[in-house]
Amino acid sequence: MSEEKLEKMLNELVEATSEPAPSYLSEEIKRQIPRDLSQHRVGLGNISIIINLRVSKLAAAAAIVITLILFANFFWGRGQESGGILRSGKLLVEYLGGPDRSNVLAAKSRYEYLAQTGKAVVYYGDIVDPRDTSAVLIQWKLPDGRYRVVFGDLREETVSAEDIILLQARMLRKNAK
Amino acid sequence: MQQDHLTCMENSEQRQNSLAARLRAANPAAAAELVDIYYQQLYTFFRRLGHSCQASEDLTQECFIAAWQRIGQLRSGSMLNSWIYGIAGNVSKVYWRSHKADKAVSLDEIDVPDGGAPEGEKSGHSEQLGRLKNAVEMLPMKLKQAVVLHYMQHLTIIEAAEAAGIRCGTFKSRLNRALKILKKQFSKDGEML
Repeated sequence: MSEEKLEKMLNELVEATSEPAPSYLSEEIKRQIPRDLSQHRVGLGNISIIINLRVSKLAAAAAIVITLILFANFFWGRGQESGGILRSGKLLVEYLGGPDRSNVLAAKSRYEYLAQTGKAVVYYGDIVDPRDTSAVLIQWKLPDGRYRVVFGDLREETVSAEDIILLQARMLRKNAK
Repeated sequence: MQQDHLTCMENSEQRQNSLAARLRAANPAAAAELVDIYYQQLYTFFRRLGHSCQASEDLTQECFIAAWQRIGQLRSGSMLNSWIYGIAGNVSKVYWRSHKADKAVSLDEIDVPDGGAPEGEKSGHSEQLGRLKNAVEMLPMKLKQAVVLHYMQHLTIIEAAEAAGIRCGTFKSRLNRALKILKKQFSKDGEML
């Protein structure tokens, strides 16, 4: 069938499907015109938001918890830099997945955030033992030449360049065993 | 002839601009004029979307009530069609969501006239129209709405896209998909047109 013919038939269908509205309808609607329309003319009266989202109960619960955590961090001033979200994320991951990997996963999300902000950050979460609380999970260089380090227990410290070499050497020794 | 058509279009545009301006000024007479212009169109629109007669009446009323509340969103006369059909589309969407169990009423309830063709052609053509109606009914709601807005309510692509709350490109793509499905439906039945 050609498109033209189809369009022509659709136009014929217009006539075929035209149906007169009941005669009283227009008067009935007119009776409902508000006396004071001016209160609506600003256009800020009502906003309708229609969302049709289908997610599993677990995903919905996780989304709600994460949203609450983000709000709490935002309004109570526990910023990403200070590790507030990190700790809250850890609690959530512990709740959902178990304690062993929770620190590593929380550090990974911290690493992704820092990488996005442009910091030259290094992530060791894939090679360290998740149970090793003194292992270096992530590190990044500070402007003064020292390094900021996040350990396996999510403790944060600023260390010198010499210390970072020692820490890395220790990690390598542990991995070699 | 073309000059007349242009003059007519300009007049219509002026009328729409004037109506929109009066509506923005919260003029009740303009509100009544809006009802006179659109109540029939909207009733037919709802029927074509598959709502029952009773539901279409209710939805037409609801649509105007919503329109009064959104008068502030009406910016110009050229937007009048897309504004009112946009509201109608939302009203219909909300209705389907809250009445999921209700089945769309078949357009078969509306009689298809045979026209003036000879008897043999009449029945063949009428049958084709009947099948086209069925095929339109079977379309997914978004595609059906696109077909109804553009081909049956005669909104331009820009107006219909605005009414559906999507970009022109997306609307054209919906129309193309709908036409493809309709064509496929016909060829599936072995019809050669």
